[in-house]
Amino acid sequence: MNDKVKYFKLIACIILLVFFTTFPFTAFSQTKDKIRIGTAISLSGPYAPGAGMTQIPNYNMWVEEVNAKGGLLIKKLNKRLPVELITYDDKSDIGTAVKLVEKLILEDKVDLLLPPWGTAMHFAIAPVVTKYGYPVMGPTVSSEKLREIAHKVPYFFGILNMPREQGAALADLLEELEVKKVALIYVADAYGIEWTGKVAPDLGLKKMDVVILKSYPLDTKDLSPLLKTIKAAEVDAVLCMSYPNDTFLITKQAKELGLNPKLFYLGVGVAFPVYKQMFGGPNAVEGIMGAGAWNPKVPYPGAKEYFDRHVKRWNQEPDRWGSAFAYASLQILEQAIEKVGSIDRKKIRDCIATQTFPTVIGPVRFEGGFNVQSPGEIGQWQKGEFEIVAAKEKRTAKPIFPKPSWP
Amino acid sequence: MRRAIFEKIFYLVLLFLILILMVMMPPYVSPYTIILLSSIFMYIVLTVSWALFSAPTHYLSLASAAFFGLGIYVSAILGDQLPLLVVIGLGGLISFLLALLVGLSSLRLKGMYFTIFTFGLSELIRHSVQWWEVNETGTVGRWVIAVDNTTVYYIMLAILLITLVVTYIIKHSKYGLALLSIGESEEAADHIGINVNAMKIITFAISTFFMGATGAIMATRWSYIDPSIAFNPLFSFMPVLMAIFGGMGQIFGQALGAAVLTLLADLLLTKLPYYYMLLYGVILIIVILFLPKGLVGLKEEVKLWLRGMKQRYENT
Amino acid sequence: MSPLLFLDILIGGLMMGGLYALIAVGLSLQYGVARVLNVSHGEFIMLGAFATYSLYILFGINPLLSLVVSGPIVFIIGFLIHRTLFKRLRRLSQSLDAFEGSSLLASFGLLFIIQNVALLIWGSNVKGYTYLSKTVNVFGAVYAANRLVALLFAILIGLIFYFFLMRTRTGKAIRAAAQDVTTAQLMGVNIHFVLGLCFGLGALMASFAGSLTSMMFEITPLIGFPYTIIAIIAVVLGGLGNILGSLIGGFILGLIGNIVMYIHPGLSLIAYYFIFLLLLLVKPTGIFGK
Repeated sequence: MNDKVKYFKLIACIILLVFFTTFPFTAFSQTKDKIRIGTAISLSGPYAPGAGMTQIPNYNMWVEEVNAKGGLLIKKLNKRLPVELITYDDKSDIGTAVKLVEKLILEDKVDLLLPPWGTAMHFAIAPVVTKYGYPVMGPTVSSEKLREIAHKVPYFFGILNMPREQGAALADLLEELEVKKVALIYVADAYGIEWTGKVAPDLGLKKMDVVILKSYPLDTKDLSPLLKTIKAAEVDAVLCMSYPNDTFLITKQAKELGLNPKLFYLGVGVAFPVYKQMFGGPNAVEGIMGAGAWNPKVPYPGAKEYFDRHVKRWNQEPDRWGSAFAYASLQILEQAIEKVGSIDRKKIRDCIATQTFPTVIGPVRFEGGFNVQSPGEIGQWQKGEFEIVAAKEKRTAKPIFPKPSWP
Repeated sequence: MRRAIFEKIFYLVLLFLILILMVMMPPYVSPYTIILLSSIFMYIVLTVSWALFSAPTHYLSLASAAFFGLGIYVSAILGDQLPLLVVIGLGGLISFLLALLVGLSSLRLKGMYFTIFTFGLSELIRHSVQWWEVNETGTVGRWVIAVDNTTVYYIMLAILLITLVVTYIIKHSKYGLALLSIGESEEAADHIGINVNAMKIITFAISTFFMGATGAIMATRWSYIDPSIAFNPLFSFMPVLMAIFGGMGQIFGQALGAAVLTLLADLLLTKLPYYYMLLYGVILIIVILFLPKGLVGLKEEVKLWLRGMKQRYENT
Repeated sequence: MSPLLFLDILIGGLMMGGLYALIAVGLSLQYGVARVLNVSHGEFIMLGAFATYSLYILFGINPLLSLVVSGPIVFIIGFLIHRTLFKRLRRLSQSLDAFEGSSLLASFGLLFIIQNVALLIWGSNVKGYTYLSKTVNVFGAVYAANRLVALLFAILIGLIFYFFLMRTRTGKAIRAAAQDVTTAQLMGVNIHFVLGLCFGLGALMASFAGSLTSMMFEITPLIGFPYTIIAIIAVVLGGLGNILGSLIGGFILGLIGNIVMYIHPGLSLIAYYFIFLLLLLVKPTGIFGK
């Protein structure tokens, strides 16, 4: 009696297993009454702060704005279709991100995709979105390696400034300010390595002396030994190719140790609005330079309005780098859909690749998959605003040099 | 006696039917199911091969990520120069060789010391590869040649099959008994005449072969890898969790634990993105509280419960 | 090498070492006595850090004072967790090995739960505050005041705990249980209370360490696990079951970490693990192990 029950249980388990595996994956048929956009992005894990600052608020705000108008304009259907945004958490894990993107494409059958955060993530999904033909513009990827494979991933576009141009802009700026001795430290991750790989040789070519060139691990907790060494070396400029966590750490510890070089540059994170508050107010960060620059004063239509809308909606300013690029990529997407007249992903991709689009970061055009509107841009906090101090033509203010001492 | 044979034949036929199902499935199910199943196969292989050595001997290794990652890197570096199956074989082979070294060096370590040693080793390898990539090659990540999902599925299925067969054979042979006796008392096993050191090292190495091979094929799914992805400590911890969750003592338990937890994670991740860790943890705790032997304990519990019911029925 | 640099490295190493020693002792109590390899140990550190942060930001409570507030709460939570979860697991397990396995699984479950809860409450953004960040001159070497204070507090807590362990009856009971649980039980020790106490004390240590680190470092729900790893390494290095050993192990790790940081920050983790593995190979039962 017991054995029979055992076998029945087993068969029941197997039936359940089969059911369990196939049922959740049946796709329900969709009538075309809305446009589904999917994104697998870091809601948790080490990339979450960046994603939560630069992309997620812009994605959500854009969807709200579009739906307030009734949706995206689909000329072929002669009407607007509302947008539904599906967000999955990739846990800052590449394997999960790839799997979720495939799930969005294959199971949820989304019409369009929005990218995750960070260079490594973009690397991972670029081949995937190309394989399935989903055009994607990456606002938080900055890597020359991408240029090497760009021809293999025609559906992937990089909209953010690239290390080659940024490095050149930074080196030009240092040269202009007559910097002689430099300390260059970088996070041992794709971002830090690439940027250093571009900046260091440029500095050398301009006859500047890089007396310290060291990397530090990604999840480091304490950089005071390194900073003390730098202080002892008495350099003119300290350049840190850093990610948000180390950017905050370095700034904090430099302030504690009284490391006050004439020029202090850090990487990702300087442009975050929280940066100007977290050390005791905007005075504390006066004169600190960072990657990327955009501020509400730039002469592009819609820029100031975008800034105000962001503040109103999220009670927080957009950051002064990636945010605007993320929003711009959405503007481009919307405009491309309107130009094409439908959600034909191939045509949208071709449109993005060839046309010029007015956005909050200026008129954007892609060449070979990369945005050529925004080459080197470096910013500096001056009186609570992130002014653009490089490239020279784009300046909204003159660079402050030397950096005032810590308050 | 007859019932035992009948049972065995029943299970064999069942497994055969499941195998046929798995082989025939791909053209009829959604592409995502294929991807998910490949993931499940991967975790089953990692768990079962980990348990091959660690379950009977009680030497809990936390170095699975090192061997898995090694396979990934073999694929990343040699993937565009050698045919796929060769790469997979190499992934397994190089893991095997590394494991021999690891086994030799850690012979004197026992219990938790061995466990933490293997963890430290895995992390050392991770950071060393990172250092090498940063300083010598100037890159951090690498691209992997992509392979289509159905091919990955079949290869993973094949690796799974081989792993299950090999593990079963070893477990039910005199070597399996030797491993168990090492687990009970290493000294006694030594006195009986078992070459304890050789057994430990070789079994450990065999288990890592499958991990390396799996790494080599699964790397093609991710298209981009770097040291923190390839050598993620999670690949060391999850097999342990999955084995305990499902039931460490039997291969079926280990495989079940891996399959259930992988499926669960996938379901939770997509349906409840903000609470999945919470629910995952709660399920882990509930299962271990009420089924301390793991999921396979369910069979026992149900049997006991049924027996109790039967007795009560007979008593009235 | 100048004596100043040497002093700098030494003191800096001791500062981190003090914190590591604190969390190592906490884990040692949980593993050495209660036999729970608590992989969620670091999450209690994270909770302590967030608690201090919230108390400071919302109510302006002095971070050092918050130790008195958050500490007992976390202790009670730890004690209750042991009472409800691990005690039951111990009863259900048929062998010590089985218990170690199932308690490992359970503590992983705790890790996931606590991290997710922290994520829900405080979000994923980096949080931090400044407290005592002015620098102090110690024989010419410069340090942030909060680090010195953290070190002093770690030493203070360590001393109080040492006194408690050596001079009180409960401390004696703990030491007895650490040696041999069954014998201790036979000697009249209320073993389940003691085990729960140890677990709670472990969580308390973690919380203290977390509160102290919140003064110096940024806080996210993810900071816990790396500390857990350090604690495990320190405990193993010092010798399992040896509370003093884990304390020393913590200091050694702090010193090694700092020394390597000075020489080559990029290599710090490699050297760290390399030295640890080497020490284990030389002494397979830990430096002070049996």
